[in-house]
Amino acid sequence: MNFLFSEENKLKIQKLAKSYPEKKSLILPLLWLAQKQESYISEGAMRSISNITDMPYMHIYSVATFYTMFRLEKPKKRTIEVCRTLSCELNGSEDIKAYLDSNYSDEYEIIEVECMGACSGAPMCTIDGKYMENITKEDLKEVLK
Amino acid sequence: MITKLVSKNFEIKDSFKIDVALENGRYSCLDALFKKKPQEIIDIVAESGLRGKGGGGALAGGKWQLASDHKGIKYLVVNADESEPGTFKDRRILSLDPHLLIEGIIATCYAIGSHNSYIYVRGEYEEFSDVLQDAIDEAYEKKYLGNGAKYPMEVVVHRGAGAYICGEKSALLESLEGNRGHPRLKPHKPSPEFYFGEPTLVNNVETIASVPYIVENGSDAYRQYGTEKSPGTLLFAISGNVNRPGVYEVAFGTPMLDYINELGGGVKNGKKLKAVIPGGASTPVLPASIIKDVKLDYENLKDMGSALGTGGMIVMDEDVSMVKALKNLLRFYHHESCGQCTPCREGTAWSDKILDKFISKEATKKDLEILRSVSQSMNGKTICVFAPAASGVIDGFLEHFEHEFLECIR
Repeated sequence: MNFLFSEENKLKIQKLAKSYPEKKSLILPLLWLAQKQESYISEGAMRSISNITDMPYMHIYSVATFYTMFRLEKPKKRTIEVCRTLSCELNGSEDIKAYLDSNYSDEYEIIEVECMGACSGAPMCTIDGKYMENITKEDLKEVLK
Repeated sequence: MITKLVSKNFEIKDSFKIDVALENGRYSCLDALFKKKPQEIIDIVAESGLRGKGGGGALAGGKWQLASDHKGIKYLVVNADESEPGTFKDRRILSLDPHLLIEGIIATCYAIGSHNSYIYVRGEYEEFSDVLQDAIDEAYEKKYLGNGAKYPMEVVVHRGAGAYICGEKSALLESLEGNRGHPRLKPHKPSPEFYFGEPTLVNNVETIASVPYIVENGSDAYRQYGTEKSPGTLLFAISGNVNRPGVYEVAFGTPMLDYINELGGGVKNGKKLKAVIPGGASTPVLPASIIKDVKLDYENLKDMGSALGTGGMIVMDEDVSMVKALKNLLRFYHHESCGQCTPCREGTAWSDKILDKFISKEATKKDLEILRSVSQSMNGKTICVFAPAASGVIDGFLEHFEHEFLECIR
């Protein structure tokens, strides 16, 4: 349950604190730092952010649950996100998703997401956050082997 | 047809690095900028007719004046929360010519009298915001930013975390303040936005990136492109069933079909064009039969019953099921509703569920009536324009492609 920001992150937080007129603005940047540090956002991390920003824990929790990119549970696998919005669907994202589900779901958590701003590279996915555009099954086979 | 005012350096190798950027004209507007008084810069931008390029198309000059009129601390917030389906232009600026954006930020801050700016970048764009951050660091080193700059100012990159609604300017500011991204009630008279109670100007990335050209070349130079009411250019984008999806900058007023055929390379696999969503998912769909004379400007698309939006066109070929396309979009609205207003939270979910019945061909006539009535209940009854946009999307599909929905009724 206990969470401490790393020394490196503590320095970053000091610098960040000078970038905003009020500590409350640090909430999103600190949630990001916590997630980078632990791969997810634990209750301890949210309590720590509550102390640093001087905001109620429940406020931090309410913010963390609003944004889809914040993960409140430790990921068990690596992550692939497949865009499912219209331009990707028109270019075969459903096939890509089905292919990933049937071949890679043991090692990867495969999530459908909404438009990632990569419509000219449809279909697209991200692997651990990194964009891959104009993907084919062959590309995926190559990258995920 | 391509007119490069903002995208001039996009194809230059390493254009995101400051040395290359400087060799290619970046920061050159600052000479002209500092020779003029801030109010003169606002006047030039107002005369240029520059309109917000994030989708709304509000006149930039008017917004700048509102921010400028407030004395004391004020902020510039650049909206880089590009999340409208079909839109992927701002990321080009962030990753290919970030110094153009920084140059525009300096000019804008000088004009409105702000020394602090934030760039709110959508969380998914981590790779691109990293490029931007490196460029900002370079600009600090070269003293274009920071205390030692001719016009001292700070630029901070602030990452979002996956919420479409934060592209709405007041939701963006709520998010920047460390809250859930819930839009605010709109003021009853012209007013700037507010960040922690201080007046704030929110402009889209491309709007700010258009400023250096105008400052350097004047309002007439900008007005030589585009139309009387939609002057200049836009980084229009095209995706869907086309041969060459991408971002191509053209002047407002360019015929839509020319753009699709000449720049987008026409419909893929030799198929016929069925429909176009002209400016991001939130603009009502237009069937091929009525787009023959459509021109890419705010006024013409409004006359056609749609909107220019972000200029991100989604092209659909003859084989696309309009029922399935609407289902795709309603799933998006259902997922992205911030949940603050009941008509939106319930309406987007309900209409998404109704579409499932059409997809499985189990819908009844009553379902079509309910869909129309849910659409009605979302229009004009919420804090922000998210629900009215969803309503417009439904109405557009039903207006032009009702027969496809009727075919799904058992």
